Amino acid sequence: MQEPVFSYVPGASLLHRLDPRTKIVAVMLLGFLTFRIENFAEIGVLFAFFFALALLSGLPMRVFFRAVKPMRLFIIFIFLAQLFFTDGRALVSYWILQPSLEGLEIGLKLAARFILLLLFAALLTASTDPSAITCGIERMLRPLPLRLLGISSFELATMMNISIAFLPLLFERVERTKAAQAARGMDFVKNPFRSVPALAIPLLRGVIRDAEELALAMESRGYQGSRRTSIHELSMQKNDWKALLILALFIIFILVL
Amino acid sequence: MIRLEEVSYSYPDGTPALENINLTVKKGEFLGIIGKNGSGKSTLALQLNGLLKPQTGRVKIRGMDTRDPSKLPGIRKLVGVVFQNPETQFVGRTIEEDLAFGPENLCLPPVEIKKCVDMALAETGLQKYKYRSPKTLSGGQGQCVALAGILAMSPECLIFDEITSMLDPESGKAVLETIKKLHKKGKTVVYITHNLEELYDADRIIVMEKGKIRLEGEPESVFSNPSLQALGLALPSVIELAELLKTHGMVIPWEKTFSPKSFAEELCRLFLKT
Ligand SMILES: Nc1ncnc2c1ncn2[C@@H]1O[C@H](COP(=O)(O)OP(=O)(O)OP(=O)(O)O)[C@@H](O)[C@H]1O
Ligand SMILES: [Mg+2]
Repeated sequence: MQEPVFSYVPGASLLHRLDPRTKIVAVMLLGFLTFRIENFAEIGVLFAFFFALALLSGLPMRVFFRAVKPMRLFIIFIFLAQLFFTDGRALVSYWILQPSLEGLEIGLKLAARFILLLLFAALLTASTDPSAITCGIERMLRPLPLRLLGISSFELATMMNISIAFLPLLFERVERTKAAQAARGMDFVKNPFRSVPALAIPLLRGVIRDAEELALAMESRGYQGSRRTSIHELSMQKNDWKALLILALFIIFILVL
Repeated sequence: MIRLEEVSYSYPDGTPALENINLTVKKGEFLGIIGKNGSGKSTLALQLNGLLKPQTGRVKIRGMDTRDPSKLPGIRKLVGVVFQNPETQFVGRTIEEDLAFGPENLCLPPVEIKKCVDMALAETGLQKYKYRSPKTLSGGQGQCVALAGILAMSPECLIFDEITSMLDPESGKAVLETIKKLHKKGKTVVYITHNLEELYDADRIIVMEKGKIRLEGEPESVFSNPSLQALGLALPSVIELAELLKTHGMVIPWEKTFSPKSFAEELCRLFLKT
């Protein structure tokens, strides 16, 4: 089976043990930083920073590169777009294509930024249990007046958790419905106008029933959408504050120099 | 423990599902509920912890009325329901996380939640699957997880709605054994099924038809009731066998021996010793 992208890999490294909030804030700051940096040296420093953190996580590198792989076409596309559509000194001239030196530079930087963004995000998801991430998000959102939107931070967090747990069931149902329709002689490639509704309608009916049953089971276990606790103990330790301090220094260092 | 008084319920589309049900579930009893498809068993189950509310009449759990929203958290803590389909009862990415869902709703602190989870894992023998994903389990194990998810809230009463109907007989039996063990430890059990064979050991059985209670009593009196087949239910095979033997003139008093094991003992007593 294909290993899922952005999946959690359990471990006991320093990175794993940090509070999810620390890591979420760090990823947000680093994401911000990747779009503020200007020259290749700084990009290089950020890559080095990523590798240092990756080593710290004790996880194999492929865990992180797995996150970049599905986006490679997109990254190549933006690189090429910059390369060919930026005005500047032409590198070569062939037909109407005129890749420019400036285009090469901007394209490379943009591609590097996207890759960095994906890598930092993968660092978070690989070293943090998804439900700890949602728990962390919940705690950070709690002071916000979400009530105005008619939703509580608890509902939001539960929704995220349920989607993570429920999504595989959905894919399984797609496969099952497809197989059932194929068994009745439906050809999905030849006849999309009939086969798409033939797939979508039973699928939708099934999903709605699943969701109703799930909602009932959740309510039966006392879920009300109001205040609830979590099995994850969130507490900012010394290490969390240290990590944030180091990160802040790092960011200032990069932005000032 | 649970008391239903003149409970009637129709679904929003007008389907009447329950009519004037009067029923008391006593503390510590094993109550079996049986009836054919559409007889209102599931609707009744949903009434028992306030997932549906009666349109007329009332349901009280330890004196708490299910129509009073402020009582619902207390009711859900006391009465848990396990449903038919294990897949749509999972809310967690791992078993541990799934079992934590109920205690989290009770707003317990993390340390307590972990204790509840470990207790529920121990009761159902699922310790070694703690960090597995629920999807990777078999149907029988899945139902055990669903049961454990309820147990983690330490309810006094457990409702099971046809939980073995999607399982093979072997794993169905295993789940039923777990439930019987819990009953021996003092849990009140309401066990809904199509299959009379699962109810040999029940303290009391209720037979439903068209939203009404048609028969009620101890297993032997229900099993021997001539109207059972008219209600669309198949007799347990042991009793069917005894009845067939009777038509051939061989009378084996099955009223006290309707589990396969005691029936076999009775046969041996009759034929080997005399
Ligand atoms: N969500 C619903 N909306 C409308 N009618 C419903 C709904 N659920 C059940 N019913 C109807 O209510 C009646 C009782 O259904 P219920 O599910 O309680 O029966 P059951 O004894 O559990 O059947 P089964 O053995 O199939 O599970 C049936 O006539 C059924 O068609
Ligand atoms: Mg039912």
